[in-house]
Amino acid sequence: MVRKKYQKKEIILAATCLLLAVATLTFYIWHQAALINLGYQIGKLETDILRLEEDIKKLETHKTALLSLDRVDKIARDKLSLVEPKEEQIIYEDFKAPDGQ
Amino acid sequence: MNEIYFPEENRLGKRTILLTFFFFLWFFGLTLRLIELQVIEHSRLKAAVLKQNQLKPEINPERGTIYDRSGKIMARSLPVFSAFFLPSDEEPFEQQFARVRQVRKILELSDKELQNIRIKMEEGAPFIWVKRKISPEKAEFVRRLNLSGIDFQEEHKRSYPLGALAAHVLGGVNIDDKGAGGVEFQHNSRLQGEKGQSLILRDARKRPYHLEVLKEPTPGQDLVLTIDETIQYIAERELAKAVEASGAAGGTVIVSQPSSGEILAMASYPTYDPNFYPPSSPEAERNRAIQFNFEPGSTFKIITAVAARELELVGFNEIFDCSSGRIRVAGWTIYDYKKMGVLTFSDVIIHSSNVGTIQVSYHIGPENLFKMINKFRFGQKTGIELPGEENGILHPLKAWTRTSLPAHAIGYEISVTAIQILQAMNVIANRGCLVPPRITRERPDPAGLIEASASPFERIIAEKTANSLIDRIFEKVVLDGTGQAAQLNGYTVAGKTGTAQKIDPATGNYMATRHVASFVGFVPVEKPVISMIVVIDDPRTDLHYGGQVAAPVFREIASRILLYLRQPPSIDPAKKVVTAQLKRESER
Repeated sequence: MVRKKYQKKEIILAATCLLLAVATLTFYIWHQAALINLGYQIGKLETDILRLEEDIKKLETHKTALLSLDRVDKIARDKLSLVEPKEEQIIYEDFKAPDGQ
Repeated sequence: MNEIYFPEENRLGKRTILLTFFFFLWFFGLTLRLIELQVIEHSRLKAAVLKQNQLKPEINPERGTIYDRSGKIMARSLPVFSAFFLPSDEEPFEQQFARVRQVRKILELSDKELQNIRIKMEEGAPFIWVKRKISPEKAEFVRRLNLSGIDFQEEHKRSYPLGALAAHVLGGVNIDDKGAGGVEFQHNSRLQGEKGQSLILRDARKRPYHLEVLKEPTPGQDLVLTIDETIQYIAERELAKAVEASGAAGGTVIVSQPSSGEILAMASYPTYDPNFYPPSSPEAERNRAIQFNFEPGSTFKIITAVAARELELVGFNEIFDCSSGRIRVAGWTIYDYKKMGVLTFSDVIIHSSNVGTIQVSYHIGPENLFKMINKFRFGQKTGIELPGEENGILHPLKAWTRTSLPAHAIGYEISVTAIQILQAMNVIANRGCLVPPRITRERPDPAGLIEASASPFERIIAEKTANSLIDRIFEKVVLDGTGQAAQLNGYTVAGKTGTAQKIDPATGNYMATRHVASFVGFVPVEKPVISMIVVIDDPRTDLHYGGQVAAPVFREIASRILLYLRQPPSIDPAKKVVTAQLKRESER
């Protein structure tokens, strides 16, 4: 039995093919792993976004409660001793008589 | 040939047959049992397994937000947690209940709540709420205790950041976030969204090992009201002051924009905080703007005056003798609050003479007055998008007696709601067009300005009639008549006062000392920006006339609203001349 002798070219080609296959497989696995990893990150970020949106909503609602006129009125009157202006103290800006008056 | 006998082999064969038979019997028994379990008892056992193994509690969706007309938050749902308990069959009852008792203080469980949990555990309920809608901080605290069987589900809790403001308009929600009053109830299907469902898998000992969301809930849609937070606040504050000062049983104020029918404020007193719905007293929950039927008294003379002038049955200068200060009607004597002498038709309404108005009604006749009352849609709902609106009471013409024509002319024998009277006054303000009131808008107006949006309207009286009534009567009610306390320095005001005696429910007779005082009007007369009704129920001080109790409230509220709306005076208060319009911020 005579053993077939491979040419150098053939060996290189086969090795290149094998390398390419391994590289492709490695890349594919790495790619999949990266995708999964990114998926986890996206999922986590989406959860963070939802949580932050909820926080924004909470803060907006809290702000509305802090700026409620009842509260502002009480602070103005009780803490700052402010009083409502009398009629004669109100000055209308850009107040001018119309034509013919 | 001699037969060779193998006693052992024979015995082995018998044993084999016996064993085979035994196995066959055993297998046959097993098959029967399998048939029993898989076929005969299948549905019952499957249900039992699912009950033990699976739970599918509903997930309430996030409810839509309610905004005021300028986009301020009036009601919003915020995430909270609800603690639940999944009892196990493997563990002694007391041991499980001890864990619930362990969280009693943190979750502020009352004796009654604890008892309810115990009863449900004894009944063998597979899922028990321990405490609904607790703060995330408390939930985290309990979670750290790592108590087996106690878990949490995320829910939403309705929050009303402005507290009691516009409580009767907003209404409130129950523990399951379902609208139970006000716009929360009226627009519940729009606000609530669609429920989702979660799945809890448990082992044989009923310990949960898997939790997942099967169907995400669909959040509800937002709702924009026509209410303006500032105007609502002004109206509520002044109403509360007036009711408390007069020792009245309650009251209501409605502020609207006549041209669009949009309600800018709807206040009712006594009130409640929708954060703690339902209120402790049913009286506090009643929206007096739409759910309080009352005999209007003199504010109803608006309709009598319109009928007289629209049909041209009475001239403005026609004279009526009111000098005696009283008039006999079918055995009853009706009085004026003072003797007024001989009055023109205009003065009869301006000074709110009952004697004169009854004489006017005889010129109009029952059919004409009834038709006009119907045209103004008394006795039927205005259609405002709020639950529980009363129709009022309008008796059919065929049920009218001899007293009905004069009684209706002065606002008795008919029951109305505050919003119906305001709708009628808006017809005058709109120069004869009826625009139904409404409480919701398509979208917010971020500038917060009072911009009219297109509304359907119907002309029900001639423009000429409305104009002449404003010029000759309703403006003069405030200038020279019973409504002088509603005068606003620098602004022209038109309106009508009303004082009606209340009926004693025990005797059915009118009470001389119990009244409903009201004032309805609009400002400025030339181009009305706001219209308003103030109703004070049963003021208990010496002052009980609409002109004394309700008209000053109108003045206080209107002056602040006009300032807030940057509406400049149309008359220079000092010079008494008409002055310029104030430029809006956006035009500068």
